[in-house]
Amino acid sequence: MEFAATVVILTCTYALLAAGVVILYKAARVVNFAHGELAIVGGYVFYSASVLGSDSLWLAIAGALVFSIIMGVTIYMSMLRRLVGEPLHVTILITIGIGIVLKSAILIIWRAERLTIDVGVAPALRLSGGASLSYMDLASVAVTVLFFLALYLFLTFTRMGIQFRGTAENALLASQRGVNVDFVLALAWIIAVIAASLSGVFFGSRAFLSTESVTIGLAGLIAALVGGLDSLRGAVAGAFIVAGTQYLTVRLIDPVLSETVPFLLLLLVMSIRPWGLFGTLEELDRV
Amino acid sequence: MRRPTLPTSAAVLIACAFSSDQVNAQNSYVIGYITDLSGPLADSYTPTWEGFELFIKSLNDRGGVNGKKVDVVLDDDGLKADRAVAAAKKEAERENVIGIFGLSLSSTQAPVFVEMRKAGVPVVTTFSGILDALPPSKPFSYSTGVVFEVAGEAIGELLPKIKPNGKVVGMTFDSVGGRAAISHNKRMAESLGYSWDEVLFPVTTSDFTPYAQAAVEKKPDIVVGHYGSGQNLGVIPALRRSGYAGPYVVASYGVTEDTVRQAAQRAGNDPNVYYVTRYSTVYDNTPAVMEVAAAQKKYGTSKPFSSMHITGWVLGKFVEQALTACGWPCSREKLDQSIQHVKVDASGLTGGPIEMSPQDHYGPSFWRLYQWNETARRMEPKSDWLKKTGLKFPVQ
Amino acid sequence: MSRNPYTLRTSYLEGNEVLRRPYQKVLVGLILAVALVVPTAASTYFVHLLDLCLLSAIGALGLMLLTGYCGQISLGHAAFLAVGAYTTVILNTHVGAPFTIVVPAAALFGGLLGFIVGLPSLRFRGVYLAISTLAMHYAIIFLATKYQAEFGPSATAGMTIPDPSFGSFVLSGDRPWYYFLLAVVTLTTVGCMNLVRTRPGRAWMAIRDRDIAAQALGINLARYKLLAFVISSMLASISGSLLAYFSNVVTVEKYTLDLAIVYLAMIIVGGMGSILGALLGAIFITLLPFGIDALFGYLPRSWRFGSTLFGVQAGAVGICIIFFLLFEPKGLAEIWCRLETYFERWPFRYRPLDTARR
Repeated sequence: MEFAATVVILTCTYALLAAGVVILYKAARVVNFAHGELAIVGGYVFYSASVLGSDSLWLAIAGALVFSIIMGVTIYMSMLRRLVGEPLHVTILITIGIGIVLKSAILIIWRAERLTIDVGVAPALRLSGGASLSYMDLASVAVTVLFFLALYLFLTFTRMGIQFRGTAENALLASQRGVNVDFVLALAWIIAVIAASLSGVFFGSRAFLSTESVTIGLAGLIAALVGGLDSLRGAVAGAFIVAGTQYLTVRLIDPVLSETVPFLLLLLVMSIRPWGLFGTLEELDRV
Repeated sequence: MRRPTLPTSAAVLIACAFSSDQVNAQNSYVIGYITDLSGPLADSYTPTWEGFELFIKSLNDRGGVNGKKVDVVLDDDGLKADRAVAAAKKEAERENVIGIFGLSLSSTQAPVFVEMRKAGVPVVTTFSGILDALPPSKPFSYSTGVVFEVAGEAIGELLPKIKPNGKVVGMTFDSVGGRAAISHNKRMAESLGYSWDEVLFPVTTSDFTPYAQAAVEKKPDIVVGHYGSGQNLGVIPALRRSGYAGPYVVASYGVTEDTVRQAAQRAGNDPNVYYVTRYSTVYDNTPAVMEVAAAQKKYGTSKPFSSMHITGWVLGKFVEQALTACGWPCSREKLDQSIQHVKVDASGLTGGPIEMSPQDHYGPSFWRLYQWNETARRMEPKSDWLKKTGLKFPVQ
Repeated sequence: MSRNPYTLRTSYLEGNEVLRRPYQKVLVGLILAVALVVPTAASTYFVHLLDLCLLSAIGALGLMLLTGYCGQISLGHAAFLAVGAYTTVILNTHVGAPFTIVVPAAALFGGLLGFIVGLPSLRFRGVYLAISTLAMHYAIIFLATKYQAEFGPSATAGMTIPDPSFGSFVLSGDRPWYYFLLAVVTLTTVGCMNLVRTRPGRAWMAIRDRDIAAQALGINLARYKLLAFVISSMLASISGSLLAYFSNVVTVEKYTLDLAIVYLAMIIVGGMGSILGALLGAIFITLLPFGIDALFGYLPRSWRFGSTLFGVQAGAVGICIIFFLLFEPKGLAEIWCRLETYFERWPFRYRPLDTARR
């Protein structure tokens, strides 16, 4: 029971991160190495907004949302827009650069303070064996489910969602048919940053926020790669596999190895099914 | 064709920066202070620096030492060894400092000790010191701080104040410091009749719940955490979530009282959180602590007042005494000589004096167990000061 | 020194020439002469910084061959530095081997590991390869931590290494090290230049530009990719070993992912696909934090203390990466080329016939 609960909650954090990575890759062909930084900065903004708004949950949510929108638009319009058509490694390197700058923002704005988000940490549900889940844990599961549901409905049934998929399929053709590609790609960045901020908030309530916790971005990246870089379903599956592997490594092998084993798992998946579990074959970036 | 303006001007700027020599007013004592102000442990090291700065400010306002002010050159190492070494070289050569103080984690201390020994500059660390200062002490290397090995032993020795027997589970992250601390904790605990088990996790851990569950599964009577602030914030609630309600000991490696308060509150104002520290906590109402608090009110600090400030303050007292004994003018050799005979009265700030000798550059250290008080929202001492002295490492 | 894009070549053989114009030979001689004289005039602190630059230049050259020429992106460079450092530690503490054996052994071991790490590159590229080198990084650092904790005389202090000695001569102090490192870097640079202008370099560039086309041309992809990995990790390993001797202490905390990113920053800032760029980038990125420190020295005291300004310093590398990728994608080497062209044509802006190729 404890096992299942922990893995599910961890899966939610990773799935949100992986979803952001997948959306960016699908729409803009960008592999975002700054995703962990975006998540943690989002968590910090949520914290600060809740402190400024005298512990108002809604203000905190609004703050994080505004931050995500501004951040997404800024990153796209000022940097990635200029790099359309550049090779993949250029975008990898620039997101690494963005990550470093965001990390220094944590130093400058929050003075490297280690913070925890203390909204809804009271136990809400007692499990057998003395363990308990907080309101925030339950919220993280609910929000993740809602996020993926909303994303699915958006992509399948709205006009904008269809334009989005069209751009992901073939940006040039889409723009020729009158789709505002800039708007769609900026939207992709906004959605990705919102997903990252959400996971940062959940992470900050379960563990803590600091300049080192940005490494969760790597877990999200691995999850996305395992599931397939262009598949949202794969993001969830990959997140579940990474979370499960980490947990089993801690309990059965050696806790110290729990950050390395997901990488090894990824190498294994990549050698057998390089396009990931749910990815498309044509996306193959393999020799 | 774009003109190469920006990079060239940057290069020119850097070039002029290097060519300038800072002119030191030769009517003050110039000492160096290097620490991590921007790296991963900045939140622990910045308050220590602030405590030191508080003391030096109040000292200079009192008229300084031997009628001369004390001038501190501050450098950041970002927790990187090569930057610490370069900063030490710069301070030694260009600022002509007579001694270097502070320093961050053990990994940055080791190369600084080596280089400054060559240059003949005394170095006094105030934080997780390395074994160079312990007997057989190496020249020019001193420490007034928390040495991982010593802290591990002291915590082991204080365990009976919590529970006379049972199973102890040590938790740490997979770093050399953590492994060193935990192995000495284990040795001491086992010699006192406890059974021992441990859980190590990677440095870049994202969620502590699985590790906490692994620890809880070992059915501990006491859990000890050998790591910094952030890990405690994560581990304590995770342990409670996983159903462990027993005692948890925070080893003070730069963990502030504020962190313990936060962690205890997150775990539901947990009374079963303990804290082992070398220097007093801010909740001790001794006159000496009040004096530090008054200075903090007067000059202000960016970080909440904590025992890290007290640690830095004690180093300040140490510097004052060493400089007083050194006289004016004071050279590196003379400072090194006077440091070897320093005996700082630190009553109220720790269990006894900070005492150096030519053979022992660490001296006796004092450790105390505190417990978080749920109702009073403060820490209360649970033991007397435990004196650790005459240590020999490595233990065979 | 590097391929000047503004130069018109009229035969393929001309592409093989390293220093085409007479003034370039003079310039290189001049730079070497200045480099030889600098330590006599500069302070020890400055020479120390130059030593750090030279040490990182060796590693940057290695990464440049792999990423800049062969196009294989690697996030595992810090791990290879660690391999060199720990080979040095192990051979010193357990075998007591002398410097002249340790450094070649470190290179050999690094090369061997590079071969293994290069194997995934036969199947993956781009982000997949980057992730696989990252996996290797974590694995190597894990082993190094375990070694240091279990075999170190004092785990926390790291492992100490004596100054290297050649017979009765002990290499110690910043100035002697400077001359030694200058010789090593000069040799490495010449070696790398020769590599990239001959068959392996041509093959690497073909693979970088389009691997399938390269294969169609008859280039053995596996062989040349692995060669790039082996040489790159050998250079990194040598750099790590020398750094271990230089600083006398090895601790595992130094070899973080951030360090690997710093090396990537060096080659981006220097200019991808340019040996000169690797050298310029190594110098620029190594001096950057110290330069910012020195600039802070001019600020009022009360501003300097507190972590705000130090945060600016931490972000500077990131800003450099972004700036160069967006505005100067060919890096400092390109700026150098422009300067060269500018002086060559002075006082005119164009050649009589605009044959310059962009």
